[in-house]
Amino acid sequence: MRQAATSQQRHSSHEYDHLVPLFDELAALSDDDPARETVREQLVTGYLPLAEHIAHRFAGRGTPKEDLVQVATVGLINAVDRFEPSKGSDFLSYAVPTVMGEVRRHFRDASWAMRVPRRLKELHLSVSGASTRLAQELGRAPTPAEIATHLGISKEEVFEGLEAGQAYHASSLDESLGGDGEGMPLGEAIGEQDSGMEGVENHEALEPLIRELPQRERHIIALRFYYNLTQTQIAERVGISQMHVSRLLSRTLARLREGLLDPEAEDEEPAS
Amino acid sequence: MRLGANLVHLPIVRAVAVNIAMRADFDVDAISDLELAVDEACSSLITHAVSGSVLSCRFTIGADDIMFTVTVTSAEDATPSRSTFGWRVLSTLTDDVTSWAEQSEDRLHQVHIEFVKRRPVTAR
Repeated sequence: MRQAATSQQRHSSHEYDHLVPLFDELAALSDDDPARETVREQLVTGYLPLAEHIAHRFAGRGTPKEDLVQVATVGLINAVDRFEPSKGSDFLSYAVPTVMGEVRRHFRDASWAMRVPRRLKELHLSVSGASTRLAQELGRAPTPAEIATHLGISKEEVFEGLEAGQAYHASSLDESLGGDGEGMPLGEAIGEQDSGMEGVENHEALEPLIRELPQRERHIIALRFYYNLTQTQIAERVGISQMHVSRLLSRTLARLREGLLDPEAEDEEPAS
Repeated sequence: MRLGANLVHLPIVRAVAVNIAMRADFDVDAISDLELAVDEACSSLITHAVSGSVLSCRFTIGADDIMFTVTVTSAEDATPSRSTFGWRVLSTLTDDVTSWAEQSEDRLHQVHIEFVKRRPVTAR
């Protein structure tokens, strides 16, 4: 995946070679020069395929493609405006992370199921991050008191941060928020696996429901309810936060319950 | 706490469960497990409840455990089967789970699920 992205970049850099001199031209123009707008526009239009390419990489996650292209284009315009050719790096290595950052921010902000104040979102993300770090340090899940001490905030604030997570849309891009966000999509990192539900009384009704689950959800269900791993162990193995595991389990169990009650309803479930 | 035996009330029960577990300083795994178990137990009983009846939930907070008991009124006297997926979910998430039914007035039955979530020993 990473390799593919690099070769794409290399390929693209030839495609954009003719645009490179425009940056020097743009830099040479004074801020109020009317020619500035023309050059800027040429640059944005010229690099548009880059924005489209990045938008495409994030497609199929519940946000309409046009919105993604629009958000990526905003990121591209920011990159064109902020890029300083005198600093020596080439535009593509500056623009790609800028545009991707813009798209990710869009997902982060759009992924909250209800309006949650920014402070709470950030509190949630920092509690979640501290929880992951502490779990690695302690070798077990931390308690709210431990998270509070670690972050130097009150327990009440930790409670708020934990609770805010319940408003977080489970289909959001948690995985691209943590770490570098690059690399293999999680689904690809996880092999096929038995659901492990043989021997369960209603497994005949259950099996097709489990087969329809996204691979990652199926894997997480098996790890929790068949292999009896804790959420923290699953989080570490799958490479997402414990709170994300918690949300995925909650959503998947609800989906399975609904499906077992009314097999017809399962088809109408949006494949989010 | 007594609520209508309707799935729309589940978020309230879940929120109470999370709040109790957080304040008892259970670890984040145990907090989530308790929430998922409460969800599972209530959902499975609500689907068997007589319509318009009451969902009764009781949290009993001990020094190192939280006990949850949920009761509905059902036309059937069947307790949830121990070999379903739902029961496996409950028994994985909690430390001790039981269910029983008793006859109440008319031909109705009180069906209960009760479980205990203990503070993981490693946490303290």
